[in-house]
Amino acid sequence: MLNTLLPILLFAALGLAVLGALRRVNMWRRGRAAKVDLLGGLLAMPKRYMVDLHHVVARDKYIANTHVATALGFVLSALLAILVHGFGLHNRILGYALLLASVLMFVGATFVYLRRRNPPARLSKGPWMRLPKSLMAFSVSFFLVTLPVAGILPADFGGWLLAALLGVGVLWGVSEMFFGMTWGGPMKHAFAGALHLAWHRRAERFGGGRSTGLKPLDLSDKSAPLGVEKPKDFTWNQLLGFDACVQCGKCEAACPAFAAGQPLNPKKLIQDMVVGLAGGTDAKFAGSPYPGKAIGEHSGNPHQPIVNGLVDAETLWSCTTCRACVEECPMMIEHVDAIVDMRRHLTLEKGATPNKGAEVLENLIATDNPGGFAPGGRMNWAADLNLPLLGDKKTTDVLFWVGDGAFDMRNQRTLRAFVKVLKAAKVDFAVLGLEERDSGDVARRLGDEATFQLLAARNIQTLAKYSFQRIVTCDPHSFHVLKNEYGAFDGHYRVQHHSTYMAELIDAGALNLGQHKGNSVTYHDPCYLGRYNGEYEAPRQVLRALGIEVKEMQRSGFRSRCCGGGGGAPITDIPGKQRIPDMRMEDIRETGAELVAVGCPQCTAMLEGVVEPRPLIKDIAELVADALLEEPAPAKTPNLREPAEVH
Amino acid sequence: MTTHVISLVSIGAHPTSGRPRRAEQDARAVELGLQLAGDNLQVLHAGDIAEPTLRAYLGMGLAQLHVLEQPAGADALPVLGDYLQDAGAQVVLTGSQAETGEGSGMLPFLLAEHLGWPLIVGLAQVESIDSGVAHVLQALPRGQRRRLKVRLPFVATVDNAGPKPRQSAYGPAQRGVLQEHDVQVVDDELFTGAVLQPAKPRPKRLKVIKAKSGADRMKAATAKASGGGGQVLKGLGPEAGAEAILKLLIEEGVVR
Amino acid sequence: MSDIIRRDPRAEWIARNRLHPLHAAMQPEQHSWMGPNGIIRKNVHGMGFIGPNGIKRIDRSGAQQGGATKRTAAVQVQLPLHQVPAPAFYINVVPDMVGGRLSSHDRDLLGLARQLAGSDGAVLAVVFGEHKESAFDTAGVDRLLVLDGREFDGYSPEQRVHGLRAVDNQFSPRHWLLPDSRSGGGELGRRFAASLKERPATRVWQIKGSECIGRAGAGREDLARALPRLILAAVECADPVSDTRHEVLPLELSTALARSLPRIEDLGAVAVDPGAIPMAEAEFIFSGGNGVKDWELFHQTAAALGATEGASRVAVDDGFMARDRQVGASGIWVTARVYVAVGISGAIQHLQGIGACDKVVAINLDPGCDMIKRADLSVIGDSGEILRALIAAVQAHRNGAKRDAA
Repeated sequence: MLNTLLPILLFAALGLAVLGALRRVNMWRRGRAAKVDLLGGLLAMPKRYMVDLHHVVARDKYIANTHVATALGFVLSALLAILVHGFGLHNRILGYALLLASVLMFVGATFVYLRRRNPPARLSKGPWMRLPKSLMAFSVSFFLVTLPVAGILPADFGGWLLAALLGVGVLWGVSEMFFGMTWGGPMKHAFAGALHLAWHRRAERFGGGRSTGLKPLDLSDKSAPLGVEKPKDFTWNQLLGFDACVQCGKCEAACPAFAAGQPLNPKKLIQDMVVGLAGGTDAKFAGSPYPGKAIGEHSGNPHQPIVNGLVDAETLWSCTTCRACVEECPMMIEHVDAIVDMRRHLTLEKGATPNKGAEVLENLIATDNPGGFAPGGRMNWAADLNLPLLGDKKTTDVLFWVGDGAFDMRNQRTLRAFVKVLKAAKVDFAVLGLEERDSGDVARRLGDEATFQLLAARNIQTLAKYSFQRIVTCDPHSFHVLKNEYGAFDGHYRVQHHSTYMAELIDAGALNLGQHKGNSVTYHDPCYLGRYNGEYEAPRQVLRALGIEVKEMQRSGFRSRCCGGGGGAPITDIPGKQRIPDMRMEDIRETGAELVAVGCPQCTAMLEGVVEPRPLIKDIAELVADALLEEPAPAKTPNLREPAEVH
Repeated sequence: MTTHVISLVSIGAHPTSGRPRRAEQDARAVELGLQLAGDNLQVLHAGDIAEPTLRAYLGMGLAQLHVLEQPAGADALPVLGDYLQDAGAQVVLTGSQAETGEGSGMLPFLLAEHLGWPLIVGLAQVESIDSGVAHVLQALPRGQRRRLKVRLPFVATVDNAGPKPRQSAYGPAQRGVLQEHDVQVVDDELFTGAVLQPAKPRPKRLKVIKAKSGADRMKAATAKASGGGGQVLKGLGPEAGAEAILKLLIEEGVVR
Repeated sequence: MSDIIRRDPRAEWIARNRLHPLHAAMQPEQHSWMGPNGIIRKNVHGMGFIGPNGIKRIDRSGAQQGGATKRTAAVQVQLPLHQVPAPAFYINVVPDMVGGRLSSHDRDLLGLARQLAGSDGAVLAVVFGEHKESAFDTAGVDRLLVLDGREFDGYSPEQRVHGLRAVDNQFSPRHWLLPDSRSGGGELGRRFAASLKERPATRVWQIKGSECIGRAGAGREDLARALPRLILAAVECADPVSDTRHEVLPLELSTALARSLPRIEDLGAVAVDPGAIPMAEAEFIFSGGNGVKDWELFHQTAAALGATEGASRVAVDDGFMARDRQVGASGIWVTARVYVAVGISGAIQHLQGIGACDKVVAINLDPGCDMIKRADLSVIGDSGEILRALIAAVQAHRNGAKRDAA
């Protein structure tokens, strides 16, 4: 009886799965076109899955092993089951293989079940609580129905009752695993995830690469939408990416805005996008809501504006673009891209940048700096330093990119300290002076692509006039934009953060350094230096050279928590329950350090905004400048690495 | 029935950089116009149609902006007056003074005189427009308001107490249409006899002490110059401290 | 004020010299009063005068001349009277008369008018409706024309322009001067100019000979031009009159004013909450920070002072104040004339935000904080007690002012 029932069940489920897959594919195809290497991506997919994705998942050993067992067991048992039970190849070896595979899957499923017994808050509940049982049902049923095939039990063992029971088990298993995979069950992540990896919008991320620069809008194309208004305005592979989400909530756990009680939860946002692409309401979402927002009040469909239907604008403006969610996501979903895409629509089409956003953007247009200061005052901080201007020199080794911190009295201390270091190392450097403009970072994160491109084009034009070996800046935001985002507009430079450059100087023995005196030190990784550009080591190296043993925070390196200053968050200023810098200061206090070294003007400003008493905040450049010994090192010519050719 | 509103706009200058921008008060006039008339608002500019900054007004969500084309230095008053005479507007809104050029703030007054319409200065809010009569709030210094009743049609100036202008968005700014009108150019005779020069900072007025006695003069001459650090009252009772504060507040004229 | 008795030989000489213009002012008051027992008492020291050789003399003939008033170091000197018996021309001034009194802007303007009038011209002040001013003489008003009538009550710009036109017809002044202020003068002057079809010079801050300089555009440029008949002058356009007294002879219009129907009707003032005034515009900000413990008291004080409330970032983060009240580099950059910081230690971002403020008052417990270094006046002490004392002081001051006005 089972012999006739099983193929029917299997093929019916498979057929439905194919139908569902076609339907799902059609949903994704509502999105806009994207340049993707379809075939190459598919071919590269297994490697991306097993290497790159596994790297991320393996940060949590428990779930990595569980997933390997479950997924491998499932894939094998599904394939074998189709052969054995679908096509009736009652081969003993195949039978044993299938038995083995289902045991493997069962072991995995057991561990999934154990994790789910008392799940952490970040995990979604609802249908996901059913999944371990479905996995077990699948593996156990197939194990049992395969026993006769392997010849362990007689073919008619157990009689009608067991056969019926097994039939039900198989039905449950295949519905969840095959039918559910393409019709929106939890297993959807396997199907969409595989394709998402194949056709990822940032293929450079695989194979150890890094791709963090935002993708430009083509403003000359009048027919292209300015950002994303409706779900169908995303590119199709972005929609596919949203569908890949496993709702593991790693992003939620890492998100500073969520922790601060601002109305953002990256996991919910991605799920809302899924609701948008399929149509419906968010009532079925079984995870943590956006803080302060009830579930079930929002709905949408592919052709309806997202904001104020599906997602509230303040959710999008809560993001600090710190990329912690992207860094944590085992499915490598690009949350930040999606948020900026939607912000672009709000700013460029609706003119709805909240709070001080509009003013900042207007200032950027009219004065090239977000504060609206007279552009002529850009060099006032260095009035007595007699800095060489690139406009006079025309050529230099190091171009010191000052950034908008030039207008901020606190940051001027950092800048002056760094100049002191440069002078002590006898570096051939110059500044652009009044020719420098805001890099466009804030404008771009606020969604004003037009102003960003305006500033970028002008800066690139200025830089093209001169010759220099490298750009060094104290501002990770300028650093990131110059390094990773000007390339799309034909601005290719060798850009270094001042910590990297100082590490090089110290290595080359160009600085005569004493030791840091006094208090214990911890180091705060700026998002735009660390997660965006992978520079975790150089600042620590510099600190070590000063004789500092860094008391690491629990959340440091790629897990560093944002200071709350990125992505224009201080400008849009969405209220939460607490402030992000206060939480970060708590992290710092936990180490017991009396001083926190930073490498970013935003972080400095945000952390110094925490009410005293609190640890001191000093930029790395200030620490190095303080430790400089008056007498220069015995003439040891700086033997820096030959700068690489840049294009 | 919506009111037919025309907002007049000019090219402004950013206060620190001096670069062209949408003029702050004119943008408020447009905002007020949008609140009154919605999509029926008509926006009018007399000047160069090629000025890219005009698009900043379109970015507020206007479908089109009418430009009476004339070169810089031409007198905007006659062309605007003639245009408005036949435009059939019920309310004409302007900023209270231009951010570039003379900026005397006379234009709305002369326009009102030319048209023979009443003029409201410092319009902050239109409360109601009913059968040809408008109830409006006028802005007074220090954020105060006065309610006025005026019959249509009228001209009104909007100053910084007007509603905050909405953000200018790139998309609508690019799509909006600049509608060109040819007009006869009249030169402004002001600049034949007047010169614009960079503003000289005006020194703070020194407190001149017309001392009646030698002792007073001596005191005035030797007193510590104000600015080199302030006075610190320590160890006084709260009453004495409060008295000193109040004295300063009264001196500065903020407590009356 | 010292009570040292001083002789003023010049004053004594004037007191003796009956031909001196200030003679009358130097006569001592007759000091006699009813004593407690109903007996008339006299101050004998007040009697008589000091003769040229320094000996006190009493003239009992009744024709007392000169007097030995008790002179202290601070003497109320009667300023010399400037007279223009037959003015060759008029300089007309229309002061704002905020609250029925001359404002400091009005006095500056009268000072400017005085300069323009020279010795032959007369300064004619045109005042609408009732006023409470008693010091027109020392402000430099030679002639005073009060345009009285119900039609000038309240906000009545169109009627006032009619009035000014009538004045213009009768006196044909050489110049009209109005304060370019938001309290009425700027508007009235422009309406008047439009009705005369004359181009005024606006925001004038300096007049040199036949040239005048005024601010142009948004204040980034100056406009220098020939001096027109109509001048709208900025604050501090000239020093106020301080050395002379003036006659303040009343003048009247020779013709009755034609009445016209007002097209704008004043329906009266609307109550506005000082808290609703935009921070950037406010001229008086009362700002609270981390050191404020009693926020209720803080709000009361702000209301008593009539100040706009501000806050430091910490106070906003802690939820005591709304975000749009935050002063500082990441909040609002304020331009208040007076900024009172209560319990704000003065983070650098905050100090940047108040960089444009004229006078800063700090109330703080910590005498070493940065705000004290910035402040023009600092009071060290418990903010609660000081605020309570401040409320009491303001109320006492207001009550006193009311008595003065009555």
